[in-house]
Amino acid sequence: MKQTMPVRLSAAENTLIEQLTGLGATVEAERMTMAGLPTRRVESYHYTDLKMLLKAVPPLAQAANEASAPALRVAGAHQVMIANGRVQESGTAPAGVIIGKADGAALTNRDDVLVHLNGALAKETLTLTLDGTVDPVVQIDRRTEGAAAHSASSARIFVADNASAVVLETYAGSDAAHVANHASYVTVGKNAVLTHITVDLSSKSATHFATNEYTLAEGAKLRTLTIHAGAGLARSQVFARFAGEGAHAYFTGLNLVDNGQHLDITIDINHAVPNTTSQELYKQIARGRSKAVFQGRIMVSRDAQKTDAKMMMQGLMLSDEAEILSKPELEIYADDVVCGHGSTCGELDEDSMFYLMSRGIPKAEAETMLVRGFLEELVDPIADEALAEALHGVIDGWLLGK
Amino acid sequence: MTTPILEIRNLHARIEDREILKGVNLIIPPGQVHAVMGRNGSGKSTLSYVLAGKEDYEITEGEVLLDGQDLLAMEPDERAAAGLFLAFQYPIEIPGVATMTFLKAAMNAQRKKRGEPEMLTPDFMRAVKQAGVDLNVDNDMLKRPLNVGFSGGEKKRAEVLQMALLQPKMCILDETDSGLDIDALQVVAKGVNALRSANRSMLVITHYQRLLNHIVPDVVHVFSDGRIVESGDKDLALQLEAKGYADFDNAAA
Repeated sequence: MKQTMPVRLSAAENTLIEQLTGLGATVEAERMTMAGLPTRRVESYHYTDLKMLLKAVPPLAQAANEASAPALRVAGAHQVMIANGRVQESGTAPAGVIIGKADGAALTNRDDVLVHLNGALAKETLTLTLDGTVDPVVQIDRRTEGAAAHSASSARIFVADNASAVVLETYAGSDAAHVANHASYVTVGKNAVLTHITVDLSSKSATHFATNEYTLAEGAKLRTLTIHAGAGLARSQVFARFAGEGAHAYFTGLNLVDNGQHLDITIDINHAVPNTTSQELYKQIARGRSKAVFQGRIMVSRDAQKTDAKMMMQGLMLSDEAEILSKPELEIYADDVVCGHGSTCGELDEDSMFYLMSRGIPKAEAETMLVRGFLEELVDPIADEALAEALHGVIDGWLLGK
Repeated sequence: MTTPILEIRNLHARIEDREILKGVNLIIPPGQVHAVMGRNGSGKSTLSYVLAGKEDYEITEGEVLLDGQDLLAMEPDERAAAGLFLAFQYPIEIPGVATMTFLKAAMNAQRKKRGEPEMLTPDFMRAVKQAGVDLNVDNDMLKRPLNVGFSGGEKKRAEVLQMALLQPKMCILDETDSGLDIDALQVVAKGVNALRSANRSMLVITHYQRLLNHIVPDVVHVFSDGRIVESGDKDLALQLEAKGYADFDNAAA
C-alpha cells in the first residue's frame, strides 16, 4: 500500500478543515487534511494553483439580512434569489415554471475539490422545473451579502421533454472578500431547448467558484455562455454529458480579465453516445498584469460514433503583462468522428486600427470598436433583446472600466 | 495665389533600413485630379500610406502640407478630420462591426474633432441612403460587418461610399481599379467623378491606364524608384501604356 504523507497545510486549508469538521463532513475534512487544495501538480488545476491563489477562507456564511441591488436587470425576467446559500421566496412563477426547494446539494460525486466542498457546504438546493415554452427569461440571482463569508449555493434545473427556456444566472453581492462556491445540476430533456447563461459580477475582492453539470437527453439542444466579469479570482467548471442521440450543444464563454485578476474557465465535455454534435467557442481578453485560463477537454467515448465536435479558443491581449493560457484537449476512443480544436492569441490588429483611424476614429474609440467586434459573435445569437442588451452592458462596463 | 490642397516637398521615407520614397515633390491645386503611375514596387502605395499616417514608415526628410497645415505632425484620425481620405487598395475586414455603425462613428468622430455637432440619426440615415443609391449599396450590405465577405466590387464601392459621406478635401485612391471587372469599374468611376469639385482634389494611384479612361486626370506623373520622374497631361498615360515604364527608369539619374 502506498504511504501518503499529509501535506503541509496553509491557513486557508486549515480553515476549510475546521469548517468541514464543524459541519460533520468528516470524509471531506479528512481528504483536505491528506491532500490539501490542488496545486499545479494536479493536471486539472495546473494553471490555477488553488493552494497558492486561495490565501484565506472567511467564516461560513450566515443568513443574509439585507440584499444589495440586483447585479443585472433584464426587463421582463422572472427573478429567484439565493442569498448566502438560502433560497428566498419569489413571486408567482410564470407559466411553465415550478420553483421549489430541496435539502442538501445537487451535484454528482465527481472527484473535484470544488464539487466536494459544494456538496459538504450547500444546505439546500433551489429546484427549477421548466415545462412547455417558457417565455420570460428565468434569472437565478445568487448573492453573498454582509461581511466576508464562505458561502455555497446549489440549484437543480430540469428542462422537461420538448420544453424550451432561457435561464440566466448572475453572481454578485457585497464588496467583501467572500469565497462563494456555486453549483448547478442541469438536465435537458428529450428535444428540449435550453439557453443557460452564467455571469459573474461579484466584487473584485471576492473569489468565485461555479460548477455546472449538464446531461443532454435525445435530441436536446443546449447553448451555454459563461462570463467572468467580476471576482478577482474565478473558476467556472462546465461538465457536460451527451446521454441521448441527436443532441447538440454550443458551449461558449468569455473571460474579461482586468489588472490583478485570475480567471479560469475549464470545460470537460463527454460525447457518450453516437450522433451528437458540439461546438465550443471561448474568448479571453486581458489587460494589465492579469491571467486568463481556458482548459477544454472533449472526450468521445468508444460507442460515440459520428460525433462532430469543434473547439476554439481566441485570446486578445491588450497589455504586455497579461497572460492568456489555453489548453485544448481531445480524447477520442471512437473511430468514426469529426473532431477539431484550435487556439489563437494576439494583440489588436494594427492594420485594422489604422483603417479605422484613417476614417477619423480616434485611437481609444477604434480599440473599443475592435474589441466589441471581437466579442460580438458571443452575444449576437441571443434572441431575447433585453438579455442581449444586458450582456452588451456587461461587456461595455468592462471596456469603460479601463 | 490659392493654397494648394496638397503640397509634398522632398519627401523621404523608409521602412526599417530600406529607403522607399527618395525625394517626392508634388503640388496639387484645388479641384485638380492627378494620377501617379508606376510599376509594382516603385513606392506608389507607400506614398499613399505615408500620407495617411501608417506607423510602419519613418519619415527621414521633407514636409507635407494639407491645405497649408503640417500633415506629418498629425495622427491618422486627425488627418482624416483635416480632410484627407485614403481609399484602400485592400480595404480591411472588421468582423463584428456593422458597416452602418462604423460609418456613423467615423462621421461623428470627424465632426466632433472639427467642433461640429453630432449628426442626428434620421439625417445620417438619409445621407447614407442617398449616397448608397448611386453606388448600388443597399441596406442589406450596410447591416453586414464592415468589408467582411464583401466581393472585390463591394469593397471598392463601400470605399467610395465612405468618401462620399465624409466629403474630404483630398482623396487618395490607391489602385482603386484592382479586383474590379469593367461593370464594377464603371460604377466606382462614376461615383468618384460625381465627387469631383472645384475645392476637392484627388490623387489617383494606378499602374494601368485603363482607370484613367474613366477618371480623366488633369496631370499624370510617372513614379519610379521612389520619386516622380516625369509629369505631363493625360496623354502621358497613353504613352506609358504603349511603351512601358522602361524609358523612364533612368530619367531621374
